[in-house]
Amino acid sequence: MIRLSSSQKSGLVGAALLALVLVAIGLLTTYFGSRYQVRLVYSAYVNLIVVLGLQVFMGNARITNLSHSAFMGIGAYAAALCVTPENIKKISLPDAPWGLAQFSLDPVVSALIAVVITAVLAFLLGMLIVRLTSIGATIVTLAILVIIHAIFLYRTDIFKGNQAFFGIPQVFNLTSVIAIAIVVVIVCRLFRESRWGIQLRASADDEVGAAAMGVQIYRLRLIAWVLGAVILAVAGICYAYFLGTISARPFYFNHVFLTLAMLILGGMRTVTGAVLGTFLISFGLEGVRYLETGPVFLGIDLPEALGLSGIALGAVIVLTMALRPTGIMGNREIETLFVRQRH
Amino acid sequence: MEYIVQQVLNALSFGAEYALLALGLAIVFSIMGLVNFAHGEIIAVGGYTMVAFASLAIGNPMIVMAGAVLAAMLASLTLERVAFRPVRKADPTTGLLTAFGVSIVLQNLFLLFVSPRPIAVTSLYFLDWSIEIAGIRLASLQVFETLTTIIVIIALMLFLRRTVLGLAVRAASLDFEMVRLTGIRANRVFAIAFLISGLLAGLACIFIMARRGSVDPHLGFEPVLKAFVACVVGGFGSLPGAVLGGFLLGAVEVAMLVMLPQSLGGMTDAFVFMIVAMILIWRPDGILSPAVEKGDKL
Repeated sequence: MIRLSSSQKSGLVGAALLALVLVAIGLLTTYFGSRYQVRLVYSAYVNLIVVLGLQVFMGNARITNLSHSAFMGIGAYAAALCVTPENIKKISLPDAPWGLAQFSLDPVVSALIAVVITAVLAFLLGMLIVRLTSIGATIVTLAILVIIHAIFLYRTDIFKGNQAFFGIPQVFNLTSVIAIAIVVVIVCRLFRESRWGIQLRASADDEVGAAAMGVQIYRLRLIAWVLGAVILAVAGICYAYFLGTISARPFYFNHVFLTLAMLILGGMRTVTGAVLGTFLISFGLEGVRYLETGPVFLGIDLPEALGLSGIALGAVIVLTMALRPTGIMGNREIETLFVRQRH
Repeated sequence: MEYIVQQVLNALSFGAEYALLALGLAIVFSIMGLVNFAHGEIIAVGGYTMVAFASLAIGNPMIVMAGAVLAAMLASLTLERVAFRPVRKADPTTGLLTAFGVSIVLQNLFLLFVSPRPIAVTSLYFLDWSIEIAGIRLASLQVFETLTTIIVIIALMLFLRRTVLGLAVRAASLDFEMVRLTGIRANRVFAIAFLISGLLAGLACIFIMARRGSVDPHLGFEPVLKAFVACVVGGFGSLPGAVLGGFLLGAVEVAMLVMLPQSLGGMTDAFVFMIVAMILIWRPDGILSPAVEKGDKL
């Protein structure tokens, strides 16, 4: 029997509360949502997993990461390359090297392989990242995003670049992604409250102090980085297994902005913040997108306004930083809103 | 021989562009710890000013160039007032994310109010012709770019060392509170830093536009990304480091362009970044990193 600390117990309570919210939104969509709305909610859940993967590193080590969409892409492409049937790959990837077009595996094995590949890559890149000071690390993650995107575009014989990589079996539905999101919420929350998570957060508050207390900062950052990458790979797999086609474009800047704004608005220090920010922006942005198409609103024919959603996202980031830099939730998790904390 | 001279000049002119931008980033960072992601959009403001002049049928290249530089300086100053003042005292991460948000907003404003497509600007083509010195053919643009950067570096050095305000800027990067105690207004120091940063971006904008001949909302992104990498390699916040990093990056990039086979053409940047990563394994804080005090000041 594992003895849990009081913060870990309240972490489990918090994760359970968040799981209830996730299930409730899922049930509402399943019973009342149209086909389009189900797709929308599905993508919100995929983004939720991305934001959670981002939170593990950014929220605990407090180093801004801009390469997360690239790791999502690695997971998605690796799984897609393994799972797509041979006959489809012969058509879509006729020049694939190393016999990539000559095999296909079942979805679970493919997903596992994709996660392992992403984790290994993240480990190698992470060894460089964790040693840098915070600003340097951020710039290097930006460079990683650009490099990986360049590889996706350049090796069209494997990734098809900006063209669609099609024929991925659509094995996931809303229920499966909700189940995975709940597992990820629990993992993130337990990591945050674990010994490692607490030490890492301490090192973010006071690097010298934490090191003096014996915290191995580089090792802990690396653990958080790889765990984050694994979660991002899972998000990529969920994306690919639902849509059935992927291309390089969704794993680049626009997606980085979007998910970063979600995490910042909700508050990157907490798992609750990640969940809150994701849903606020996912649903809020739908309204902005509606305005973007130039609808007739209250009798006024509005012009088409391409770029409005981008302005909204940027404004969310700027305003959050100016008014409330720790996001809506700050340091509070969901259970502290209901349970009086004992000190 | 001719080939070697040409490649060296290539490296110098690439490096000069990166050094100009990296200096602009470093001077702001050294004073307020802000990683200015919106620097690329300042360049785009310069580019769109040229478009505006073209549509007003003002063809005089001197006016166009001066206008672009002035617009970049004004834009830089405005951003400081509007966006960066609220986060002046915040930690670097907050500043970085603010700048990131500002950059997204500006890019999408260009998209919304101008055009998502590239717009051609032809008024600067005259800067680029080929000259022949001692039997070696050179591009005039590259010579201009390298010379401008050298002049700018010397002028900046004189300003920072010989004037009171320059001294204040240098002192502010060490201890801002002390500078304020000596009676120099904080707002003025910030304004000067952002003006210099905008000036450098405006100058870089002229060369970028002369080479590309068109402007789109993402004009500044790629050069500024390189400039960031130059700053990181040189040591973030160090002005000599920014120059060194810029020229080093230019040299590595030209070396890669020369040595990589044609079939790997699309991957040049990937290789450049990888080599830079190797340097960072050797010195994680950059080559000329200023000493950082991580603990509490007593």
